[in-house]
Amino acid sequence: MVWFILRRCGSAVIVLFVASVLIFLGVRALPGDPAVVMAGEEASPAVVEAIRHEFGLDKPLPAQYVDYVAQTLSGNLGRSTQDQIPVADILAERLPVTLELSALAMLVAIVVGVGSGIVASVRRGKLADYVATGFGLAGLSVPHFWLGLLGILLFAVTLRWLPASGYVPFTEDPGQNLQRMLLPALVLGTGFAAILMRQTRSAMLGALSADYVRTARSKGLAEAKVVGAHALRNSLTTVVTVLGLQLGALISGAVVTEQIFVIPGFGKLTVDAVLTRNYPVIQAVVLVTVIGYVVVNLLVDIAYAYLNPRIRLSGGGHG
Amino acid sequence: MRPSPRIVAALAVLPLALTACGGGGSSGPSAAPSVADASADNRAVKSGGTLNVALNADPDALDPSTSTTLVGREVFANMCEKLYDIDAASELVPQLAAALPEVSEDGKEVTIKLRDGVKFNDGTPFDAEAVKKSLDRHRTWEKSSRQADLEAISEVEVVDAATVKLTLKRAFTPLTAQLADRAGMIMSPKALDGAGDNFGASPVCVGPFKFSARTSGSQIVLDKAPDYYDAAKVKLDKLVYKIIVDPNVRAANLKSGDVQVADQLATTTVAGVQADPNLKVVSGGGLGYYGLQINVGNATGSTEKAGPVDSPLAKSPELREAFELALDREQINKTVYNGLHEVDCFPVPVDSAYRTPDLQCPKRDLAKAKQLVQASGVPTPVPVKLTSPNDATNQRLAQVVQQMTKEAGFAVTVETAEFVSTLEQGKSGDFQAMLSGWSGRVDPDGNLTNLVTSQGSNNFAGMADPGIDEPIKQAAATQDTAERAELYSKAMKRAAELRGVVYLYHNKYYLGMSKNVAGVQYFKDGLPRFATAGFVA
Repeated sequence: MVWFILRRCGSAVIVLFVASVLIFLGVRALPGDPAVVMAGEEASPAVVEAIRHEFGLDKPLPAQYVDYVAQTLSGNLGRSTQDQIPVADILAERLPVTLELSALAMLVAIVVGVGSGIVASVRRGKLADYVATGFGLAGLSVPHFWLGLLGILLFAVTLRWLPASGYVPFTEDPGQNLQRMLLPALVLGTGFAAILMRQTRSAMLGALSADYVRTARSKGLAEAKVVGAHALRNSLTTVVTVLGLQLGALISGAVVTEQIFVIPGFGKLTVDAVLTRNYPVIQAVVLVTVIGYVVVNLLVDIAYAYLNPRIRLSGGGHG
Repeated sequence: MRPSPRIVAALAVLPLALTACGGGGSSGPSAAPSVADASADNRAVKSGGTLNVALNADPDALDPSTSTTLVGREVFANMCEKLYDIDAASELVPQLAAALPEVSEDGKEVTIKLRDGVKFNDGTPFDAEAVKKSLDRHRTWEKSSRQADLEAISEVEVVDAATVKLTLKRAFTPLTAQLADRAGMIMSPKALDGAGDNFGASPVCVGPFKFSARTSGSQIVLDKAPDYYDAAKVKLDKLVYKIIVDPNVRAANLKSGDVQVADQLATTTVAGVQADPNLKVVSGGGLGYYGLQINVGNATGSTEKAGPVDSPLAKSPELREAFELALDREQINKTVYNGLHEVDCFPVPVDSAYRTPDLQCPKRDLAKAKQLVQASGVPTPVPVKLTSPNDATNQRLAQVVQQMTKEAGFAVTVETAEFVSTLEQGKSGDFQAMLSGWSGRVDPDGNLTNLVTSQGSNNFAGMADPGIDEPIKQAAATQDTAERAELYSKAMKRAAELRGVVYLYHNKYYLGMSKNVAGVQYFKDGLPRFATAGFVA
């Protein structure tokens, strides 16, 4: 198991290096000069030149890359070109917000998605199954921004149950925080609940018709135990994979959700940074995202190995 | 998997039902609503309270020397006073100066007397030394975007603690107007010494409110400033600017009461906000313009020498005239903006003292347009590439232009790009025609010099004509308003013949407010001032 984890970590480092080069080049390949953006509508060429120099944008690309890596490794992520605030401070402020939103959305997705997936598979062909699959179809088709706007109109403007948008840190006022996070988490969670529901349902259907379930039933095991301990546990590998894959989608979904609900999170930061060609912030954001992906994938692999011992064993030797 | 027909039917109806309860903002083209003047509202207000204000975009660094955004100016309007300001009639009035400047006979010496007993919001005194330090930073710091504004100044001199003398390279009348904007904002010398280039992260000026905190991309908090010289008239304890980019969400926050003021309502949401019994809408703005740039000579970049451009519109003045005559400005305003902007074909505001009454706009004349196209000898349909920023409103405008000019024999293809990319295309000359605007300045010079004179940095069209350049230059050195008006009108008429820019309208701003907020001042510059604002007693 240790060797397995070490090997995975090694490949993660290579992924990070390749990603850093790609991020660096990708940002610079975008049309639009950040210095022109910063200099604004009345920019004179001299000001644009001064800004390019200030951010080292007048150096050749390889020199810029070396500067970037050296700075990043020393923990200095630079200052946002938009508002002069240090990028590290911005990340420290934004990341927990999106993590909270993602966690809550994930919670919604797991409770609703896995729950309704189990029900749909057990009650296959009955009304409950149709309701669940109908919900799955709707959840997948409805775009986040639209659902978000409707949610605001219904719950904030018409019913006045919840605030329209905005964010209050959990540490400042937990009640307000959850009130404001509820709608975004529901909106963001809906799409994933739908995906999880479909995956759980089909994996469970497969498991429920497997031989070991028939055996479990024939030896007189209680139905709850058959479904919970046998069918569900074996279906979970699929669900965990989907969960891991969807975490990336969750972040891209958070981009839209955060824009609509004005939540100062990572997703909103990403969009704003790209639109203003804020190189230091884009680079940091993408880097953190890549690290996030790598870590999540690592965790998924480990969870796999835990859920299915065969992976652990074959992973140890070759391959 | 066989979903029952009933469920399918229910799901199919769902979006319709939800849309209905959403109640879209646009109720079709309508006459411009009668919108009250904010400064007419002088109901008594009580002391205290926090005013939440929705901003439509995230301001850049709050440093008066580098700031370039309108939303940044909205925040500055309440925490960074300037030597001069404008009033409800767009007249220049002293703010941190004690009176309008005294200008010498030859226009090259400007003496500014300063207001007495003023302190910065960090408690340090405001004096001539501080003014010199800020003005010098604005005009000489290499990263300052104010360099062009103050380019005419050759020296700033401290005469005594309450007097500053500016020596100019040439007479430059628009200077007072420049000093009524960011170039006239005075920063605390102590804060400048402490923060240096990062002043914008924690700015300190003179103002009714002082900077308290900023969460990047989310909000900016200002507190009532105890050191303000006119603190007695300031009622609110706190101003919280919340950045809410989506116009529908901005309006929804206003309706739900989460914010009490929302800036720049989208023209599609104005009617919805007006219909709410707890809200009102006031209008401001109109200094800027929006229009179509036609690349006539920007071959290698707007700041380079003009050169030949290879496109039918660039080569033929008759085709450009036909293109303009095919456009119906009133109809554009109705279709795209619910009639909420102010139609015009010149860059200086309609009611400006700097334009003569003989400036008239051509009406749509399709017959003449067709005739001109035919006479040009260019085979029809004449191809035109129109670059447009990729937001919904601009795309709608581009489509309307496409339809209108099609009837005259043009085939417009719309190319959309992100706003930042279009900006770059404009500067480099990589376009045939482009939708583009200007936020506007109080002095007409600010709407012209940089935009239509040869090698002006925002002269995207690449116009280079002495008939435009000369009168504008002369006007800047002239002090008499009527004389300046004659000169500007002459330049604008010449520019209208060349059609490097086909102006469409002056953009109005609409401020949504809760009815229990009073004392807000909202002028032509579109910057809500909250110094005297508060909640109705």
